[in-house]
Amino acid sequence: MPDITAPGSGEAATRATEEAAFYHEAALNASWTGTRLAIGGMSFLFGAFAFAYFYLQSQNSDAKWLPAGSPTPHAWWGVTIMALVVVSAIVQTVGLQQLKAGRKGPWMQAAVVALLLGVAAVGLQIAELLNLPFQPAQSGFASVFTGFWPVALVIWLAAMIWLEILIMWARGIPAISFVEQPPTYTETFGVQRFQATLSAFTTVWNYLAIITFIFWLLFYVR
Amino acid sequence: MAIETQPESAQTPGGREPGPMPRQRPWWLRPAFHTAIIGAVIGYVFGHWLGNFIASGYQQGAKAGTNDFAIILGYVFGVIGWLAGLGVFNELFMQMTGRRVARSDEGLVGDLARYFRYSLDHKVVGIQYLVGMLVYFFTGGLFAMAIRTELLSPTYHVLSANAYLMVVGEHGTMMMMMMTSVIVGPLGNYLVPLMIGAKRVAFPRLEALSFWLTPCAYIILLSSVLFGGFPTGWTGYAPLSIQAGEGMDGYAVAFAIMGFSVILAGFNLICTIICYRAPGMRWSRLPMFVWAMLTTSFLFVLAVPVLIGGLYMLITDRTAQTAFYVNQLGGSNYLYEDLFWFFGHPEVYILALPGFGIVSEIIPVFTRKPLFGYKVAAAGMFGVAILSFFVWQHHLFDSGINPDMRPLFMLTTELISIPTGFIYLVAMGTFWKAKLRLTTPMLFAMGMYVNFLFGGISGVFLSDVPADVTAHGSFFVMAHFHYTIMGGLIFAFFGAVYYWLPKMMGIRLNQTLGKIHFWTMFIAFNSTFMPLFAVGELGQPRRVFEYARSLQTLNDWVSISAFCLGGSLLIFVFNFVMSTVVWRERETGNPWQARGLEWQVPSPPPPHNFERIPVVLAGPYEYGDPSALPVADLNPPAGVIAGALVGAGTESRSSAGTEA
Amino acid sequence: MAADAPAPAAPGGGTGRERNDGLWLTVIWLVLSIAGCLVVYFVWGPHLPPGGMSDSAASQQFDNRILGTVATPVVIGVLLYFGWALAFWRQKPGDETDAAPIHGNTRIAATWITVTAAIVLGLAVFGTYELIAPAGAGGGEGPQPIWKPNSSTILQVQVIGQQWAFTYRYPQFGGFETTQLELPAGQPVAFNVTSLDVIHDFWAIDLGVKADANPGVNNVAYTTPRHTGTFTVRCDELCGLWHGAMFDYGKVVSPAAFQAWARTTETRLASMTAALPPYSLTYDPTQISTLGKVPAELGLTGAGGGYYNPADPEQP
Repeated sequence: MPDITAPGSGEAATRATEEAAFYHEAALNASWTGTRLAIGGMSFLFGAFAFAYFYLQSQNSDAKWLPAGSPTPHAWWGVTIMALVVVSAIVQTVGLQQLKAGRKGPWMQAAVVALLLGVAAVGLQIAELLNLPFQPAQSGFASVFTGFWPVALVIWLAAMIWLEILIMWARGIPAISFVEQPPTYTETFGVQRFQATLSAFTTVWNYLAIITFIFWLLFYVR
Repeated sequence: MAIETQPESAQTPGGREPGPMPRQRPWWLRPAFHTAIIGAVIGYVFGHWLGNFIASGYQQGAKAGTNDFAIILGYVFGVIGWLAGLGVFNELFMQMTGRRVARSDEGLVGDLARYFRYSLDHKVVGIQYLVGMLVYFFTGGLFAMAIRTELLSPTYHVLSANAYLMVVGEHGTMMMMMMTSVIVGPLGNYLVPLMIGAKRVAFPRLEALSFWLTPCAYIILLSSVLFGGFPTGWTGYAPLSIQAGEGMDGYAVAFAIMGFSVILAGFNLICTIICYRAPGMRWSRLPMFVWAMLTTSFLFVLAVPVLIGGLYMLITDRTAQTAFYVNQLGGSNYLYEDLFWFFGHPEVYILALPGFGIVSEIIPVFTRKPLFGYKVAAAGMFGVAILSFFVWQHHLFDSGINPDMRPLFMLTTELISIPTGFIYLVAMGTFWKAKLRLTTPMLFAMGMYVNFLFGGISGVFLSDVPADVTAHGSFFVMAHFHYTIMGGLIFAFFGAVYYWLPKMMGIRLNQTLGKIHFWTMFIAFNSTFMPLFAVGELGQPRRVFEYARSLQTLNDWVSISAFCLGGSLLIFVFNFVMSTVVWRERETGNPWQARGLEWQVPSPPPPHNFERIPVVLAGPYEYGDPSALPVADLNPPAGVIAGALVGAGTESRSSAGTEA
Repeated sequence: MAADAPAPAAPGGGTGRERNDGLWLTVIWLVLSIAGCLVVYFVWGPHLPPGGMSDSAASQQFDNRILGTVATPVVIGVLLYFGWALAFWRQKPGDETDAAPIHGNTRIAATWITVTAAIVLGLAVFGTYELIAPAGAGGGEGPQPIWKPNSSTILQVQVIGQQWAFTYRYPQFGGFETTQLELPAGQPVAFNVTSLDVIHDFWAIDLGVKADANPGVNNVAYTTPRHTGTFTVRCDELCGLWHGAMFDYGKVVSPAAFQAWARTTETRLASMTAALPPYSLTYDPTQISTLGKVPAELGLTGAGGGYYNPADPEQP
């Protein structure tokens, strides 16, 4: 923080600035650490479902994992939903490159598109669950399918609320702040906090897209 | 979960600009405990209606005369309503609509009312947790008294068969839920920032949320009594849990909520410990208690999601009629056992590590010696934490799952006694030619070492597959884990309460009563649980209300000892209430002459913990070393922090998320 | 956990006329440990549960003896050490100074780790041997047991757990089903444990046999009864309302008496056996036999917990 400009002068001001900068740095680091930690925890949650999938498949109790001829989910639902999530993540990530280059507008547009795609994925997933061609207990596969996707869609929805907050937050930041350092440290810190949070969101949303793709492979491609 | 990874914007410069102060509304309109209750009631009614509406077409619900949908959704919306009533979602909505979130110091100073609000001060959360966990503990203890009353006679029954199972399940689940956060909640939240020299925690909202979920879990778990309880004990094995009545829903939801609560608490603590340490607080100077909190929190964040997954599958089996755990429909009851114990074994060490941390923190102070083998102790904790993920199938030695893997799991289980042994090495080295001060906390710490010794030794019997054939599922196991959890964790907890209450409340607990409490508790505890090893080996399974006549003498001995144990805890209650309410013996300084950083500030700590960010100069255990520096400079000259920041800043820029 | 009290070479050891704590501790510990081990192994050991009624029980008793003997020096060492500390390393009245600082000692730590690791690995090897040699030591070994008794004449007994009783089927005697459990002395027995509803656990206490009864799974456990007598059977896994009352008694009788009992029972129950589902290693409770339909029509099914029949198209 070489260019911190303290409001006022004297030792008290120096101390206030120093402390603000210290906890600002800590918060940025916590955002980074927390993102990785959240991914770790979510991996264990999704891992529980992946374990259920493979375990029940290997047990094949009563030959009811997925008996031949039993109905399976329609492929186009799966492709559409998975594609929506993955494209949403890609669009947002591409938009982020624009922001890094100092262009706020293109990122805002990309983020809105990503938000709409994500919400559409949530909606379509609910629609699919309401129109399943099988009963939840028809097979082990059907159980895991019916159990997993509601969890996925709730987490997608949470991520989309997060993205919405970021968009609203960005509206309040002048575009010039992404090009050059704002004049006061309060504003500088605000922009950096936004960038760190957006970076955290991007990591999580890309991670969720990968998870969605993996489970799409499990459930629709097999 | 993802949404909450936003770090807290600072109250003071550093975050977004603070908005205007909110208008001060009259107290009955401000979110607090009472609005939370109103929200919970409204939420429950709505959820119950919604569940009935959704499931009205389901014949199963109609036939059985029950509707799990309605009850589960009632619980879930009740929790949401509770949190909404507390004002948890207010800031979320403000952010979603693009308004700036107003920050204020409200809750940092003030009256008793802040303890009934969604307070963001880690010290308030710590006290809230302390009271909450004591309520949990004594409720579970009353259930234990009921169990021992029933077991006074092998044939004459005080409780009906159903009431007995209900009491057993409530006791086990309530104690497990409470033990999980009994250290991390009150002491971890309160002390970790003080010990690492931080003026705030990384995610205060998550921390507060983690506390405010615990009353929900408590009430939901107890509410299952209204539906006849649940017959499965705390393990909730399927398919019995699928067969069970509506009381089972309370178990599943309450346990999952508690799981969510501890994940949030652990998440906040890890980020705080890693990112908010004061300058100079190197990893090699971290107090052992903080190490214990760090390892425990990692277990929370990584293991508990698996429990939530397993309980979620149980809930869908009971409501949406999936068949995760139903053999005839393509599921497997082994799946639940695997998922549960994959969480359940790290859980066991979640219940041990904080105790190790506390006693390692207490003994250097009262032996007046440095901790022997600091690195060994930290390594031991990490070793336990990592190994705990690889032992879960020792709960299933006789279940028929992967029988050929039993030698492997026997090996990993026995390996865990190596890092556990480090804790004893550290203790014995620290005691070597010490100048013991036998204060109440020290007595509890020594009691913990003695009790945990028996818990650990009996664990070796259980890890040996042939010996486990007899011991598995019997009172031997029950005695074993009461020795580790109650004898280990709870003794450490009481030691910590006697040790740190002067810090937390500025009030000293009566030491004479404390010593009476220790000796009665120590004797009654051993007298209760030592005979149970024999009872189990002689053929009494857990959770039975009828047992062999030949075991009546032992069981009666145990029951009477258990009542004495309950009585000894009443001494604590008396001491706690009288000391904090009536006598109020002030203790503002450093009563134990401890070096810990938390003792260098007044008690109770000022609103922001430290007037200035301290600079840590030395480790916390340098007793008897005349050349040791003081533990920290609480009033460093201006510019030192900025100097420290340059180093930290470059480091963070390469690693942290400023790439956006 | 290691058995060593601190070595005499501990730093800061006694100088001159001071009490040599390390030496004293070691000597007292050695004496007490040797005495304790002898008492545990020779005096207490033969009386340890689960006794010697079968070979698996005997092997478990042997394990308990060995583990108890290994544990004794550890317990004595730690208790002695803390007792010693309480007795001799107290703060003197008025002495507010700190003790001499010792930050650690690599040699002691390394010794400790080596000793504990050696004990632990030794115990693991011992446990593995004791698991494999006596054919699984009486524990449930799943549907495909890999450690079996070395015998061609294994008596097959099926244990069927159900809420809240065990029934037993003898496939080598026409598959009759009874609530009485009788076994011949001297012949290896294979318990095929399964369940009709929830998880139970078949625990023949004096025989040292324990195996979970899982629905839809055959869990095999072996033992060889050594002498005649009665033993207790209890359910060892919480299985619902009357779990606490789910016990019965079995008998080990002479081979001749067993043959007589089995033949008589087979004849006596022949008509009943015909109405039962044919013997199989697992049973599906949704496939209800003719006999079982009577309680089902009265609404008395515990099995499956009222779970709906997947074949029923009426159901959601």
